Amino acid sequence: MDKLKIIDIDKEIFSCSVPLENAQKAYILNGVLMSGKEDIRGVQMVSEKKSITIETKENNFLQIINVRENAVLRRGEEYCIEIKANALKEEKSTIVLCSHTLGDERFSTKGKINIVVEKECGLELIIMQNENGVSVHNVDIDIEIKYGGSLKLNIITLHGGHITNTINSVLLEEQAECDLGGLYLSDREQVINTNVNVLHKVGGGISRQLFKGILDGNSKTNFNGKIVVSPQAQKTEAYQANNNLLISDRAKATSNPHLIIYADDVKCSHGATIGTIGDEELFYMRSRGISLYEAKLLQQQAFAGAVLEKIEKKELKERLIGLVERRLRGESIHCQGCSTRCC
Amino acid sequence: MKNLLEIKDLHAKIGDKEILKGINLTIKQGEVHAIMGRNGSGKSTLSAVLAGNENYIVTQGSIQFTDQKGTTYNLLEMSPEERSWAGVFLGFQYPVEIPGVTNVNFMKTAVNEHRKQRGLEALSAAEYLKMMREKMAIVQMDPSFSSRGVNVGFSGGEKKRNEIFQMAMLNPSLAILDETDSGLDVDALRIVANGVNRLKTKDNAFVVITHYQRLLDYIVPDIVHILYKGKIVKTAGKELALEIEQKGYDEFE
Ligand SMILES: Nc1ncnc2c1ncn2[C@@H]1O[C@H](COP(=O)(O)OP(=O)(O)O)[C@@H](O)[C@H]1O
Ligand SMILES: [Mg+2]
Repeated sequence: MDKLKIIDIDKEIFSCSVPLENAQKAYILNGVLMSGKEDIRGVQMVSEKKSITIETKENNFLQIINVRENAVLRRGEEYCIEIKANALKEEKSTIVLCSHTLGDERFSTKGKINIVVEKECGLELIIMQNENGVSVHNVDIDIEIKYGGSLKLNIITLHGGHITNTINSVLLEEQAECDLGGLYLSDREQVINTNVNVLHKVGGGISRQLFKGILDGNSKTNFNGKIVVSPQAQKTEAYQANNNLLISDRAKATSNPHLIIYADDVKCSHGATIGTIGDEELFYMRSRGISLYEAKLLQQQAFAGAVLEKIEKKELKERLIGLVERRLRGESIHCQGCSTRCC
Repeated sequence: MKNLLEIKDLHAKIGDKEILKGINLTIKQGEVHAIMGRNGSGKSTLSAVLAGNENYIVTQGSIQFTDQKGTTYNLLEMSPEERSWAGVFLGFQYPVEIPGVTNVNFMKTAVNEHRKQRGLEALSAAEYLKMMREKMAIVQMDPSFSSRGVNVGFSGGEKKRNEIFQMAMLNPSLAILDETDSGLDVDALRIVANGVNRLKTKDNAFVVITHYQRLLDYIVPDIVHILYKGKIVKTAGKELALEIEQKGYDEFE
C-alpha cells in the first residue's frame, strides 16, 4: 500500500526535469527500485531486495533518482547500488545519481555504491546530493578499475545535513585511469566530510583528485585524501588537490592530504588550500560597478567552476552550473517540478 | 563648464603612514589633467582613494563629485560600486587577474548593474555582444579575449588595453588612468591614447597619471600637476610636462 501510494505520486514528486533528451530514468525509494526497470533499454537493471545492479552498455545515459524518506519502520536504512561499466571508453556511458530526501525530518541512511570498470571500459558518474539540512547520510563508494579502464566521478553536494562521502578507488590493473572530483557547498550547521583513498596497485595508471568546498555559516568540512602507490606501481601519475573557500569566518575547513609512495618512478603531487575571497579582486570588480554581493558570487562561481567544468556531458554540466548558482544565491534549489523540499 | 570633481585638503593614510598630505584639486567637464610625480609620491594612493579602496583611510578633507545629471555627491561616503554607478572610473596601474571569471561575464555583469541603477533592463546576449565588439575594436582587442579569465595571462599591454575597453563599456564621466602608459611599447601606447581621445567629449574629464612625458604627446593635457610627497607642488599648462622632461623633478621639489 505504502509502495503504491508512492508510485501514485511518483509523477509529481520525482518528476525531475533535467532537460536531458536521451536520459533514461529510474527511481529508487529507500533502496528499492520503484520504476524505470521496464523503460531502461540497453541497460541491465536488476533489483533484488536492497541491491540494485546496473550494467551499462554503449552510450547509455541514465538518470537515477535516489530518494530516502523517514519511514518510521525503516530507520537506519541502507541502499546498495552496483554499477558495472561494460561499455568501451569511446562509447562510455554517463550516469547521474540524484540523491534526495523527502520531508524535513532527521534520519540517517547508509549507502553503498560499488563500481567495477571493466577492461578498456569507461564511465562518467555524477552524484548530485541535495538533501534536507538535518539528516545523516554516509555513502561508501568502492571502485575497481581493470586494465585500461577509465572512471570519471564528480560529486556535487548542494545541500545536506551531515554527509560523509567515502571513496575507495583501486587501480587494479595497468593503464587504469581514475578522475575524482567533488564540489561541496556547506552552510548553517552542516557538516560535509570527504574521504578519498586511491590505491595504485600496479603501474602505468593515472589518478586525479580535485575537491573544492565553499563554506558559509557555521558549517564544517573535512577532507581526508590519501594516495598509496604500491612498490610495483612504477610509472604511476597521481595528483590531488583540495581547495576551500571560506565565506563566513565561523565556518571551518580542515584538509589532510596524504601521499604514501613506495615506487620510485612516479609523478605525484598534492596541494591543499583554505582561503577567503581576495580583497583586491573584490575591489577591482566593485570599481566596475559590480556590487559586493555579485562580486562575491562571481568569485564563488569561478571557484566552483573548476570542478563543474570537468563534467563532460554538456547538458548536465549546464544544468549543474545553474543549480550551483541558485544555491549560492540562496534560492531554493530543487529541480523544477520536484517537490522533495530538501532544503 | 561645471566642476566634476572638487578635492579639498585631502589627507589619507595606510596603516600609520600618512601618504596624502593635503591635496586640493578641481576638475571641470571637458578637461584633461595630467598628474606627474616620482615613484612613491602618492599618485596611486590618490587614485585608490578616489575609487574607494578601503585599505586607505581618509583622515581629513572632502571630495565632491557631480554627475552628468547635476547631482552632487560626497564621494567619501560612497562604496566603490556606487562611485562607479555615479560615473567614476579607475584604470588600474596593476589590473587584477581574476581566474575563472571570464572577461565577458565580468563586463556583462558590470554593464547590467549600471543599467539596473538607471532603471534599464539587462542587455540581451546579442545586444551585449554587439556593444562589446564595438568597444573592443576601439582598442584593437581581439574578441577571443572575451572568453578568457579577466586579465589572466594577459601581457602588460593587453591588460592596459583591457582597462580602456572597460572604460569604453562603462562610459564614465570621470576617468582616472593610473600609469596606463607604463609597460607599453609605442604601438600599444598609440592604441591606448587613441582610445582615450575617441572617448573624450565636452562633458567628461580625464585624469592621466604618468611619470613620463611620452604619453602626453598623444593625450594632450589641459593642466599638469606635480605631486611630491603627498602634495601638489605645482600646477601649470601642458608645457610643464616638457619642462619636467628636460629638467627632471628636482627643480620643483
Ligand atoms: N599598502 C601599503 N602599505 C604601506 N605603504 C604603502 C602601501 N601602498 C603604498 N605605500 C606607500 O605610499 C607611498 C605612495 O605610494 P603610491 O601611491 O603607490 O605612489 P606612486 O603611485 O606615486 O608611485 C609610497 O611611499 C609607498 O611605499
Ligand atoms: Mg603608482
